[in-house]
Amino acid sequence: MAELPAPTEDEFRRLCEYLYRRTGMVFNEAKRYYVERRIWDRMAATESSSFAIYFARLRTDMEDEIQQFVNAFTVNETYFYREDYQLKCLTSDLMLERVREKQSGDVIRIWSAACSSGEEPYSIAMWLLENWPTVDDYAIEIVASDIDTRVLDLARAGTYGKRALMRLPPELIGKYFDALPGELWRISPQLRDSVSFTAVNLVDPDQTWPHGQFDVVFCRNVLIYFDDASRRLAAENLYENLFPGGFICLGHTESMSRISPLFEVRRFADAIVYQRPEIKQS
Amino acid sequence: MPLVRKPTLPAEHRNPAPAEVLAGLVSASCDERWAAARAAGGLPEAAAALAAALLHESDAHVREAMFTSLVRIGTRDSVARVLPMLRSHDSALRTGALDALRSSPSAAHEFLPQLLSDPDVDVRILSCELARSLPTEEASRSLCALLAHEPEINVCAAAIEVLAEVGDQAALPTLARCAQRFSQVPFLEFAIRLATNRITAAGNRG
Repeated sequence: MAELPAPTEDEFRRLCEYLYRRTGMVFNEAKRYYVERRIWDRMAATESSSFAIYFARLRTDMEDEIQQFVNAFTVNETYFYREDYQLKCLTSDLMLERVREKQSGDVIRIWSAACSSGEEPYSIAMWLLENWPTVDDYAIEIVASDIDTRVLDLARAGTYGKRALMRLPPELIGKYFDALPGELWRISPQLRDSVSFTAVNLVDPDQTWPHGQFDVVFCRNVLIYFDDASRRLAAENLYENLFPGGFICLGHTESMSRISPLFEVRRFADAIVYQRPEIKQS
Repeated sequence: MPLVRKPTLPAEHRNPAPAEVLAGLVSASCDERWAAARAAGGLPEAAAALAAALLHESDAHVREAMFTSLVRIGTRDSVARVLPMLRSHDSALRTGALDALRSSPSAAHEFLPQLLSDPDVDVRILSCELARSLPTEEASRSLCALLAHEPEINVCAAAIEVLAEVGDQAALPTLARCAQRFSQVPFLEFAIRLATNRITAAGNRG
């Protein structure tokens, strides 16, 4: 692998342009090393002797290479408080906007639309309890969904290893988890019972629509797995699942602007998120 | 604890009857047109009504949903109905049509030769973009066939830009001839030089 040539500046730019156009993933010179590592990995895995050969393979999606390449960028490793800048944004900006029109005791609905084994929805619950001073004034409903019913079973069980808890301070682990034998921890029953889990295919309106509308949707590192047509459809489904003025948070390499014009970009101090417009254009 | 869990299961999605969908597409209510546009994606027989409604749709969100549904239907007929919109005077409709075709490349490719020889300059320019997702040899061949006779500078520029990404060595003679034909047009010469350098470098390294 060490003998594989690095992409030239021009090749790197072409790749970034292609990735942005095809997947919405945004990379620039600052992330060059990160991107190159993954290019080398995929060149080695596909036995491509040059970047040009590999790029042709990627561009024509030979043997599902686009999916393989995206997979290399989105390791399915998840953990509590991952991309916590979005959680900061949730409590410092998004919730404040959403409660502006609400009364004390009103429901706030949050959807973890691709929750995998549950770290994200439980992180949202913990973060709100710990970091939102007016959390007691509202009834917060967290719904967590995934297309994979096996990971939903894991999420419902709520048992995690040390690695999933690596970003959590000990006091939070002590507060929200019960220690089990074998370096495992289980989410406390109270927290576990406060999240609803459902199976959902985000490109199927018959499955997304019944979930109703939400104030905030987390849909991180999911849309990049879809082809263009599926992404468009998923974006429209998610648009319907937001209240007007509701927010959607994507993964840090994803851009809704490349997928759909339905949403407005909102730039907050901690994160860029997308918003269903309050008033529809006519 | 302020966290609540609703015991109720999600509501069931009511799919409207086809007649209701067709009526909804031309409703005065924006919300009804949106709902009808979304529902029409599951009705192949609604392709004609969707395309007709698109031509008069003023709401950008509803228009987006209509294009998505035409792509979702995904038949030859539904894709063919998007093609005339590439020559619309409405730039939003043109862009929407191109985005829709781009998101359904396998269905759109069948129409590429006819689009690249369309009498409308704008259609030819937009269609060059559709070649990006073709396999290298096919993309190179299609765009070179266009470049060989294309009289419009802007169409050539669009084809050259795409060739710079997807072209192979076989495109180099065509690019050279194009440079000769337009030797008085500096920006095209520059674009051809850039594309040639890229293709040559990729070939040398490959």
